[in-house]
Formats: sequence, C-alpha cells, structure tokens
Amino acid sequence: MRHTLLTAALTAAALLLGSAAHADQLADIKKKGELVVGVLGTDEPATFIDPKTRQIVGYEVDLVNAIAKKIGVKPVLKQIAVAARIPELQQGHVDLVAAGLTHNKEREAQIDFSLTTFVTGQKAVVKKDSGITEVSQLAGKKVLTIRGGTQEPNIRKAVPTAEVVTFDTSQQAFQALQQGKGVGYVDDEAALLRSYAKLGPQKAKYVVLKQNLSTESLAIGIKKGETALKAVVDDTLRELEKSGEAQKIFLKWYGPNTASGFQTRDFKLETDKID
Amino acid sequence: MPLFDYSLLLTGQYHDMLVAGLWLSLQLLVVSLVCALPIALVVALLRLAPVAPLRWLGFAYVESIRNIPLLAHMLFWYFGAPELLPEGIKQRLYEGHIEAYSAIVALSLYTAAFMAEDIRSGIRAIPAVQFEAGRALGFGFLGTMRRVVLPQALRVTVPPLISQTLSLWKNTSIATVIGVAELMYQAGQVESATFRSFESFAFASAAYLTVSLAITGLASWYHHRFPVRTL
Repeated sequence: MRHTLLTAALTAAALLLGSAAHADQLADIKKKGELVVGVLGTDEPATFIDPKTRQIVGYEVDLVNAIAKKIGVKPVLKQIAVAARIPELQQGHVDLVAAGLTHNKEREAQIDFSLTTFVTGQKAVVKKDSGITEVSQLAGKKVLTIRGGTQEPNIRKAVPTAEVVTFDTSQQAFQALQQGKGVGYVDDEAALLRSYAKLGPQKAKYVVLKQNLSTESLAIGIKKGETALKAVVDDTLRELEKSGEAQKIFLKWYGPNTASGFQTRDFKLETDKID
Repeated sequence: MPLFDYSLLLTGQYHDMLVAGLWLSLQLLVVSLVCALPIALVVALLRLAPVAPLRWLGFAYVESIRNIPLLAHMLFWYFGAPELLPEGIKQRLYEGHIEAYSAIVALSLYTAAFMAEDIRSGIRAIPAVQFEAGRALGFGFLGTMRRVVLPQALRVTVPPLISQTLSLWKNTSIATVIGVAELMYQAGQVESATFRSFESFAFASAAYLTVSLAITGLASWYHHRFPVRTL
C-alpha cells in the first residue's frame, strides 16, 4: 500500500518535471527539426509498409507529411502498437499519433484530437456457410478483431453475448477467421474491405454484413493542452481541404481504383467536434 | 483525475475482468505443469536410454524446443498445427477454446524440454554404483530406474523443477498473443477501456509477483523439510 503510494508520488514528480521541460511542444519540434509521428504501419491503406520500397506509406502518412512541411521540419514515422497509442503520446515519445485513432468522448479526457480526418463505419465480415446475415446473429458466437481499439467495446455494445477474441494485428485476426477460429471478423470498413479484397477468388465464401456496428470519426491525436501544435495541424488539414488536395489524397488510397473501392468521399476535413 | 485510482482495482467490472484473467493464468499454470512433468520424465529417460536411437530422439526433442522462442511455439500451435487436423475435429475444436488448448500444448512441450534436462541432471547426480547394484540384483533398465535411481534422483530434482515452474508461471503471459484471455490480456483490455494503464498493469504485476513469491516460498520450505540426503 505504502509502496504504491510512493511509486505514484514518484511518477507524479516525473510527470511534473516532464511537463515543465516541455513548455511548448511546437517550439520543441522546430528546435529538433523533426516531427515524430506514431503510426501503426500494419493498417492498410492508412499506414502500411510498401513492399517495394520498404517505406511506410498511406493516407495518414500523406496528411502527416503535409503537416511536417507546414511546420518546416522532417517527418519521422515511428511504428507503435494499437494499445500503446495513447501512452506513447502522453509520455511524449511521439509528437502526434496518426494510427487509425478513433475520436470518442472517453478519450477526450486524455488527449486532444485534430479535425476529423476520416469517417468510417465498423463492419463485420462472416463466412457465407455460417448463414449469418445480421449483426445480431453473432450472439453467443466467437468474433475476432484487433486489440486495443474501439472495435471490441463496439462489438460488446452491439452484441453483448458475443465471445470476442482479440489479436495484436488485424492480419492475425483475419487469419484466424480464414481458419474458422471464429464466425465473424470486425474492423473499420476501409481496412476490412482491404483484407476482404486480398482474399481473391476466396471472396465468394465470405460476406460483409451491410449493417454498421458503429460509426467512427478518426483523427490525429495530439498531447492534451498543446494548443499551438493543434492549431498548426488543423490549419494544414483545412488548407488541404480548400485546395482540393484532401480529395486527391483520399481517392489515391481509397478511391474506385483501389481495393477499398470507395466511389465518393462523404466527409470533409472541417470539424473536430463529434456527436 | 487522481493519479492512482484504487477503486478500479478493488470493485466493479474491471476488477472482475482482472480477477478472471488471474484465474485463467493460474489454470494455464496448473494444467501445463501437470502435462509437462510426465513428458519431461519420459524425455529424460530417453536421453539416458541404453539404445542409441532413443537417445537421439530425446536429444532432438530437447534441442529443437529449447532453441526456439516460446512466442514462435505459441503461434505455431495456434495458427499452424491445428490446421493439419481432420476437418471434423478441427471444426469442433475451433468452436471451443482452441486458444487455451493451443497455449497449454505450447507451454507444456516447452516447459517439459527444460524440466527433462533438470531431471537428467538429477539422475546423473546419483552415483553409478546405485544403478549397477540394481542391475546386479536382476532388475532391467526401467526397473532399476523406477525402484532404485528415480526415488533418489527426483528428490534432488525438486528445487530446479520448482524454479522451472516459476518460469512457466511467467511464460503463461505469452499466451496473450493468441488471444487467450489471461492476466496480461485482461490488463490490456482494461487499459484500452479506461486508459488507466498504470493501475491495470500494477494489478497484473502484483499478481505475478505474489504467485511467484509463493512458488519460491514453496521451494525454500521443501529444502528445509526434505534436505538432499548425502550419500
């Protein structure tokens, strides 16, 4: 008991010292000459490793590059785990998090969010022979997804009796679905369609359920209270929207010629409010 | 927001999740231990067998398992091995708790390789004359082992086996990678639900430490109660 209090006190001291050292993150970034951004790198097409160049590329990477350019520094991408996103940001290991981060009310107490950069529904894909056509039929069944995101709480909200099994990466969870270790796999629509497209001729055996489990607003995560940094990030996003660049970037990664195959973009980079 | 919020750990839904995780971790420990011990004994005897091919078999088992990380074993027994089973059995398994079964298989085989080496050392600590005396009385290899050598050897072996049990206890945490809802998994789930990383992992650490200390305590009690007989 006393030891935990001591540890807590030490941690508090460390946090206070840490925050005192970082008076203004934007100034620090300019001084360093680099903007360190935490990305997943396993989340095609938002952030993933290009097999040819071995570089991390994607929709979120293009946005981040624009932000770094606006500040006038070099972007440095750092791969982080889904569950580590918020701690990495709070402890100052990364300046921004662009890692398929859902903006929700619970998280607003912990960190700040940029303008919404993407709006996606979370959907489930099931094997055809399971006979499932509605999300509600997943009740009492094994459902697979990725750990540390909003997928799991959303499944529990939509289907309280589903048995959820989570994995470190979406690839592992999808692999488990292919092997039949669960009847359904849940993920953000864009990522899910991408995995689904990779099945190739096997696609006929699976079906993506129409119903959304939830609608997610994704945004870039910023350490709480760094107003100057947030202002730069948001300004950059607004400019991208105004110049039509945002539309181009979206179509490049999610458009009709990609595996995600979105015909239109039904959101704009304009607000950091969520319902 | 207080810096350290005990209430999260002591009551409510998150407390229940963490306790369920601890309970599953303990189950993994006990079941894997019960499976690993007989395998270890058989492998140790294989490695000391009078027939060369059996010795090679034991050697191959120990070396192939010991030199590959447990993480790789876990992934193999979950994503790889079950795929080779016949369709009917596979379907039944996958509907059930395949995650936990795979973890138990990986943990048992892995721990058995280390324990086999400890048991072998214990057997070799018994003077060769004991074995020769057994053979002279007309017992076979297995008979001599069972009636003369093993009763003495296993007593010598208990302390290192308890230390392997300690490793096994910590290794149960690796099962989180294949979606087994053990303690680390649940701590991660509580963390992603509440963002109170510090509290959830403090609970997990305290639980691991408590059980580890209990195992260590058991070892020193055994030493005290059953000291190794000097021959």
